[in-house]
Amino acid sequence: MKLLTPFILLFFTLAAFGQDKPLLNDDRGKLIFYEVVVLKEATKDSLDARLAAFFKNSAKSLKQKSLAVDSLIHASGKMIINKTALVLSRPSGEVLYNFYVENRDGKYRFWLTDFNFIPYQRDRYGNFVPSTTVGTPLETKPGKLNAGEWASYLKATTRAVNAFAERFKEAMKGRAAVQPAVKAVPVNPTQKW
Amino acid sequence: MKFRSLLTLITLTIASAASAQETVEAPLQISGSVDTYFKYDFAKTPNIKTYFASEQNSVSIGMIDLTLKKSTGKASFVGELSFGPRGQAQSIVPSEDGESFHIQNLYVNYAFTDKFTMTAGYMGTFIGYEVISPVANFNYSTSYLFGAGPFQNAGIKGAYAFSDKVSLMVGLFNDWNVYQDFNGVSHVGAQLMVAPVKGLTAYLNALSGFSDGADGVGTIVDLTAAYQVTDKFKLGINAADYSVSNDNGGYSGAALYPQYAFTPAVSLGLRGEYFNIKGVGAATDASILSGTLSANIKAGGLTFIPEVRLDNDKDYTQAFVKSSGAATKTASQFSLAAVYAF
Repeated sequence: MKLLTPFILLFFTLAAFGQDKPLLNDDRGKLIFYEVVVLKEATKDSLDARLAAFFKNSAKSLKQKSLAVDSLIHASGKMIINKTALVLSRPSGEVLYNFYVENRDGKYRFWLTDFNFIPYQRDRYGNFVPSTTVGTPLETKPGKLNAGEWASYLKATTRAVNAFAERFKEAMKGRAAVQPAVKAVPVNPTQKW
Repeated sequence: MKFRSLLTLITLTIASAASAQETVEAPLQISGSVDTYFKYDFAKTPNIKTYFASEQNSVSIGMIDLTLKKSTGKASFVGELSFGPRGQAQSIVPSEDGESFHIQNLYVNYAFTDKFTMTAGYMGTFIGYEVISPVANFNYSTSYLFGAGPFQNAGIKGAYAFSDKVSLMVGLFNDWNVYQDFNGVSHVGAQLMVAPVKGLTAYLNALSGFSDGADGVGTIVDLTAAYQVTDKFKLGINAADYSVSNDNGGYSGAALYPQYAFTPAVSLGLRGEYFNIKGVGAATDASILSGTLSANIKAGGLTFIPEVRLDNDKDYTQAFVKSSGAATKTASQFSLAAVYAF
């Protein structure tokens, strides 16, 4: 029984590695992380306010592309991918992506897609900087030479996207309720989701 | 009992590793590189006095390079040590007490704001296109411009970013490549960075001062730029002029670096260089032309660099010889290097 405890602990630790939701392919063949979240008590206005607060807090890593009044909010972002060995790590590259959010009364949906990987290389000062300005789509087949390396980038991106999604969903839960606007919000009935 | 303790320790180690992988930034970054090469000069003698890759018909070593970096809030440090010929005697003259390693970078940095940072210590030079570390160069052998210019500058500098497209660095520095300046902090340097369009970054650099024991004030003006023209084609350029006052010589030159990436793992690059050695006093100038064709083949952290190089020394300043020992203007060599970065 005493021997069993570390094994159980080990099992749950290893299981924790496999909990990430995988990136899927959309109809363009691009990798995508897509989720619809139902928050029945939340109005569209309160979700818009929470989204604005999220963008404000993430201003360094997320640049909003569309106007706040647009129904579909578009932003571009960047994630740093770290090469990790036990407790030590260093940045091995960055992944650029597009982030979309659409709010409705009682629910919202968001997706991250168009992942482009830019490898880092060390510069003359010992810092890691982008080796090029043009990213390689993460869907690209890397060839035999870099298959292992590419798989690790994909895995690290999946992990980072899941962490981002959790952080975003937490922010969208909100703390303070926002009063609904007096003006009625038109709904686009042509889009079903 | 010991077995159970060991098992628990392993479990906790894996658990902490799993936890560490979730963090965005590690508390301590460790990175580095290892490089080794084979070089063969077709005249069977090491003609081309390139820095590094200098040993003839031998499987030789470059260096092992270890870098530590840590950031705490707005402060950070970088410490980088190299062991091996590339990082020691081949780049810096070893001290009389026979030092067994060389410091590539040892500096502290403080970001006062998002736009203004100050750095002090011993740093890789801001002059030139190529560097000592084989990880940051495309070609394995190095240019004449690299060999003639500074490798490192100890000093204190401030950098201000006006925007993402323009920044300016100004600093006070020691003599080139020394830990200690025996005639006082004697050099002033500056770097203007402009990135006018996406993919193009250019640096205009200047460094001037009176080195200990020098014949005059040495001033170098240097332009370095890289342009990612398409997703596969990149063009780099380096041009420099160095003069020592009172007609005490110097050098000038330019190098072009076109590179084409066939895949993310395989690319081919050319370096074409013109290098002019300024004559001291009434002596005439001498010039060298050099062409280097290199491939970069990446497999994970490993990069293979097969390379051929042809130099033309029309003024016989490089003392190239044929296999018979007779003087010649040309020299050619092949090298194959393996560089592992971690």
